[in-house]
Amino acid sequence: MSEFALDAQGIGISFGGLKAVQDFSMRVPAGGLYGLIGPNGAGKTTAFNLLTGVYSPQSGQVHVAGQRTDTLRPHEIAKAGLSRTFQNIRLMGELSVLDNVLLASHMRGRHSIWRTILRTPRFVAQELAMKRRAMEVLNVFALDRLADEQAKGLPYGDQRRLEICRALATEPKVLLLDEPAAGMNPSEKKTLAKSIQRVREMFNVTILLIEHDMGLVMDICEKITVLDHGVTIAVGTPAEIQANPKVIEAYLGEPGEAATSPAQDAGGAA
Amino acid sequence: MKPLAEHIRAITPREAFRPVVMFVPWIVCVLVALGMHTLAPLVVDDYWVNVLRRIGVFIVAAVSLNIVNGFTGQFSMGHAGFMAIGAYIGGGVTYYGSLMLHGSVGDPSFQTHGVLLMLGGVAAAGCVAAGAGYVVGLPSLRLRGDYLAIVTLGFGEIIRVLLELTTKQLYTREEVTLGALFKLPLNGPTGFERIPGYASVFWIFLFASITCLIAYRVKQSSSGRAFLSIREDEIAARAMGVNLTKYKVRAFVLAAFFGGVAGALYAHTGVNPSPTDAGFQRSFDIIIMVVLGGLGSISGSVLAAIILIALPELLRDLQQYRLIVYALLLIIMMLVRPQGLFGVREIWDFFGKKNRPTSKEESNP
Ligand SMILES: Nc1ncnc2c1ncn2[C@@H]1O[C@H](COP(=O)(O)OP(=O)(O)OP(=O)(O)O)[C@@H](O)[C@H]1O
Ligand SMILES: [Mg+2]
Repeated sequence: MSEFALDAQGIGISFGGLKAVQDFSMRVPAGGLYGLIGPNGAGKTTAFNLLTGVYSPQSGQVHVAGQRTDTLRPHEIAKAGLSRTFQNIRLMGELSVLDNVLLASHMRGRHSIWRTILRTPRFVAQELAMKRRAMEVLNVFALDRLADEQAKGLPYGDQRRLEICRALATEPKVLLLDEPAAGMNPSEKKTLAKSIQRVREMFNVTILLIEHDMGLVMDICEKITVLDHGVTIAVGTPAEIQANPKVIEAYLGEPGEAATSPAQDAGGAA
Repeated sequence: MKPLAEHIRAITPREAFRPVVMFVPWIVCVLVALGMHTLAPLVVDDYWVNVLRRIGVFIVAAVSLNIVNGFTGQFSMGHAGFMAIGAYIGGGVTYYGSLMLHGSVGDPSFQTHGVLLMLGGVAAAGCVAAGAGYVVGLPSLRLRGDYLAIVTLGFGEIIRVLLELTTKQLYTREEVTLGALFKLPLNGPTGFERIPGYASVFWIFLFASITCLIAYRVKQSSSGRAFLSIREDEIAARAMGVNLTKYKVRAFVLAAFFGGVAGALYAHTGVNPSPTDAGFQRSFDIIIMVVLGGLGSISGSVLAAIILIALPELLRDLQQYRLIVYALLLIIMMLVRPQGLFGVREIWDFFGKKNRPTSKEESNP
């Protein structure tokens, strides 16, 4: 048993010869807001996929709020309290904004086929409650007025925010955000950063964040893990990470990545 | 923010008890069936009353297939197999039931009991077909796309062959023994004869409207959203806690149940169900209805069933070109409206948009 909301120990996976993630460990205490960074192709998304069961880890263990999850199936992991957003948005495009969020509260209810067919008071109460909660969640990101729109018709930024709403509607203990600010402009990013911090309080949730925008990460994350070529090269506070020569090398050594060097970017944003 | 459980607790019994929502639709189903039953003979001749019965049967078949192919996006090509199971079970219950209880089949003095037998047969047909749906649904968890289509296609063909292997039908009460019934006397390739046509317009449209009501209620529920999410994106659905196994099987079982009901009704419309009714030709007919109406649209399936049954009747001289007309229709549809007539939406969604009140305090994150 561990007192950490998220506790991954030595998880890894290879695709053929490629060691996408090796010996990845991360402990996030309840209520923490941690960051996961690294150059393109470092294995960040793959780490999320390992945690959420999209891929089964070939080694190591994962615990979510004390419950072992690496042996579970993805929907069971979600039920255990691990929820996520996707880097390449995966909304239910044909469904309405509201339905996307309702779907996420699905597993917190009971859905007997008889009650569904007969529309019993229990069924009605549950649907009503799900709707109310969904609208509250949407309200956090001011998406409630778009509730009836088709998800695929939303602007890009709203789709990203809707993904966060959907993840929150699962009542997670741990929320994994995969590049939530991608494609947003600086002012949108600033409000997003505030929202993420607000969400942590409101939903009492632990957050792990993948993000390329160093300003954002350095601003809001308490602790940061840096991946490069599947290997964890540094763990520490934002200040420690910015001063870490290995990290700077990983970013600068990567052609074309120099512009987003953590030290430079964070300096600019601070 | 409060968890869902607390929101549920906050809802009063008075809020949750909605008798109008709960009961009125069932009454509407009965009224629709009664209305059709009394009006149809006044408006059209016997021939078209029969066409109407066929339409009703295929509404049940298309709407039920839509639960698998439309809602969950699993491409099942064996729906005729479930229908045939239903036809033979339903027909068998009525035929052999009448023979054993009354000594003859289709005697007018036995009508009331006969209809009761038919209703029992419909229920039995639905349950057996649902069981078969469970068996077919299980492999569907491992298979995707083309592979599932092939397995389900194979299922229909297996049912067809099994039906061809059944023994000769029994025509007198003396012949009917438990031992003889175990040999499945369903008349092999010739087709099961002399099933009385108890499925009047009333019964067929009662079942058709109930099927639509149930399908619609499922669509507008948590289970329905889970179905649709599987079709939209399996990875995201799983991440949101949808148990893919459970919901795929649930969809297959539901669809098979009503497929069986459709088959049982079909057997009581004065036709002789034959093994070819289980074949891919029939499955294909139903798939076309679902695709034409729009994958996921219940009203679309209903409209498509009406069009695709009535059209060949209207163009009777072109009967032999039916397949060409089908193919042309499909090609045109795929080009003009690839999502089908209504897409995933219902016909009434196209008239007027309801406004949802938004919460007053627009927060600014
Ligand atoms: N299913 C897969 N099969 C084979 N290789 C894969 C698979 N998934 C990821 N990879 C490889 O693993 C490596 C890590 O990819 P990953 O998507 O985790 O990187 P990332 O850190 O998220 O990058 P980015 O910042 O661009 O999102 C890449 O080389 C990628 O090509
Ligand atoms: Mg990534």
